[in-house]
Amino acid sequence: MNRKEKIRGEMKFKKGKFPRGEKNSITDIKGVKVGHLTINKNIQGTPGKTGIIRTGLTAIHPYPMAKEMRLFAGSFVLRGKNEITGYEVIDDFCYLNSPLVITNSFNVGKVYNAILSYGFSLNRVEIWPPFIIAVNDSYLNDMRKSLLDEKEILNAFHDASSGKVEEGSVGIGLGLRAFGWKGGIGTSSRILCLGPQRFRCGVLVASNYGNQKSLEKQETESNSTRNGDGSLIIIVGVDIPLAPYQIKLITSSLVSSLSPVNILNNCMDPITCVMFSTANPMSMENEGPSIFEFELTDDSLLAEIISAGTEAIKEAIFNSLLKATPVEGRLGRKIETMPDNEFKKLLKEFGEVS
Amino acid sequence: MKRRNFMKSTFFGFSLLPARILRKSMLNGPQKENLSSDAPRRRIRDLGVKIGSLEPGPYNAITDVEGVRVGQTTIIKGRGKGAVRTGVTVIMPHRGNIYEENLFASYFNLAGWGEMTGIIDVENMGKLKTPIFLTGTYNVGIVYDAAIEYLSKINPTMGVADEMVNPVVAECFDDFLSDTRSRQISKDDVLKAIESATSGPVAEGTVGGGTGMTSFGFKGGIGTSSRKVRGKYTVGVLVMDNKGSRNQLRIDGVPVGKEIKGFEYKLGKTKSIILIAATDAPLLPFQLKKLAKRVAVGLAQTGAISHTGSGDIILAFSTANKIPKNKSSSFQNIKSINDFWITPFYQAIVEATQEAIINAVTSARTTVGRDNNTAYGIPLDQVKQIMKKYLRIGEKNHE
Repeated sequence: MNRKEKIRGEMKFKKGKFPRGEKNSITDIKGVKVGHLTINKNIQGTPGKTGIIRTGLTAIHPYPMAKEMRLFAGSFVLRGKNEITGYEVIDDFCYLNSPLVITNSFNVGKVYNAILSYGFSLNRVEIWPPFIIAVNDSYLNDMRKSLLDEKEILNAFHDASSGKVEEGSVGIGLGLRAFGWKGGIGTSSRILCLGPQRFRCGVLVASNYGNQKSLEKQETESNSTRNGDGSLIIIVGVDIPLAPYQIKLITSSLVSSLSPVNILNNCMDPITCVMFSTANPMSMENEGPSIFEFELTDDSLLAEIISAGTEAIKEAIFNSLLKATPVEGRLGRKIETMPDNEFKKLLKEFGEVS
Repeated sequence: MKRRNFMKSTFFGFSLLPARILRKSMLNGPQKENLSSDAPRRRIRDLGVKIGSLEPGPYNAITDVEGVRVGQTTIIKGRGKGAVRTGVTVIMPHRGNIYEENLFASYFNLAGWGEMTGIIDVENMGKLKTPIFLTGTYNVGIVYDAAIEYLSKINPTMGVADEMVNPVVAECFDDFLSDTRSRQISKDDVLKAIESATSGPVAEGTVGGGTGMTSFGFKGGIGTSSRKVRGKYTVGVLVMDNKGSRNQLRIDGVPVGKEIKGFEYKLGKTKSIILIAATDAPLLPFQLKKLAKRVAVGLAQTGAISHTGSGDIILAFSTANKIPKNKSSSFQNIKSINDFWITPFYQAIVEATQEAIINAVTSARTTVGRDNNTAYGIPLDQVKQIMKKYLRIGEKNHE
């Protein structure tokens, strides 16, 4: 079938424990939508100062944004130094009520403003705080000139769809690189049975981390060491009824379950994991009730969720690498898709082959 | 974004606003009371009340910490419907380029319904790498944008060949007095605030980011104070104060809020306070974290309870150790205070925080804003009487 299946066949790929969702996307979670805005253009400026723009944004609507609603959410940041707006609220109130947007560091203010406008246009009483995660795509992208337009951003929000998510060099994925090869957006999902019920766990990643050295590929001049400007962003959505303390526990477990990523990382790139559950929405229409009633998953089932999440995250990372198309960026830099033999090395490091 | 201009001119500093306009708009307000709350504003120390036992620095402001500068832009546009009362306050942490020379910092999220961007970096790497911006909630995007523009202008390699940083932008919700949704702040307003940053006395009350803020049922805003510690060190606090209800207000332990008569008005509900602490003593990030927690103790002593709609976020930084971004060596000598020696700093920060918050209230003048919503300046004559009644004024040794 596709490249991944071919490599899997060649390498006696370990069979996962959990079946994939229908779309194998984060959009397998009911209500979740994803929208990409991809900006791929060259701005003609003063001689020798052409702006090579390879950027965009990827927006995830955890629920239909017109609803006045909150979802339980949590985050875990490993050695983070990237921007997360709305962090105080997710930390202290454990909810999410805005689109989740991944964009580059120079566009955070623009996107923040656009999310407010988006909320006002939907007559939302409260879409604040905007939840934005920043990544640094300056290796390929002329980040300083890649300013997004509010109209474009709003269009991306409106056009978000619940279909299969586009992967690779798309949205904010256009300018990303991982392990010295082309990185980008990847997604995957798993179905898991907890008791008599079937649930879904969906993942979307933006891979922009790790240097080439970690995969024993020769360092080239253009790929000088990185000092933490990269990052791995992991968004996890589930329809399992979880309480915030469980979400927090799962996010930290998921990040530590990625120890191969950490070992391969070999640099200071942060890993950010944000997770939300669509199972216990809090309707805030007319300020909501004084007491909410929730379902709660038993703690003994959390291990299962962590296993399913880990599987999905790993596959999403592989997808982001395999689906990414080569991109030529600023300063004549070109990043190729990870070749098969490199990918096999990566699979070995991840312990994905027996 | 489309901006509506109600009045072409923007006033920098409330004192420049013709008194006649203010008086006139107040008469149009919903309540016609004796506006003795609009008498000349004073800092609490000028009323004869000494909070705590330590001495303040020469300006009794965060700028007493050597190198710290404060700049503010006040935006006052229109009257009645669509009126804008907002602005931005910027704290420049040292005289040099903060991107090139970082300072140790830490933060404490006492009540999380608020925003302070750039905090992941501060928390994980223990350093402050940008100026600190205080503004209204919906202005955060624009101010963030302006901050990036400023930083990339003075650091041409930032985000291209060099490290990207995330500006620290914090907010309170100024929607009671200002038409916040129209977001009428521009990049220039922010850049002007940066340019105008100076050491020395800091304008307080209805100014900068504090223009539209309310506190303890009265007009709030920017407040600052400082304390000298162990002879050679200083701690300073600057707050943007927009929290609390009237019954809670305590000044130096006196339940002033309960005793004050008149000047009632109905307040919007979402309120916050941002508190920035600075010191020139060599504190490491873990010590600054502990200092930040004591800022919360000072906040509590003013009667605030950090209710659910409050974003009470504290950032503390030390100017003593400068960490250059581009190091000549992999190792660097730094200083750190002995933990057994730190208690007086806690005493100082608790006192300074209290006084800064009270200064924000006593310095802020009556403001008529959006839809003629009126926030009264706390009536200082009454404050003085009450403080006398409780023996806080005139007593020689209140220590």
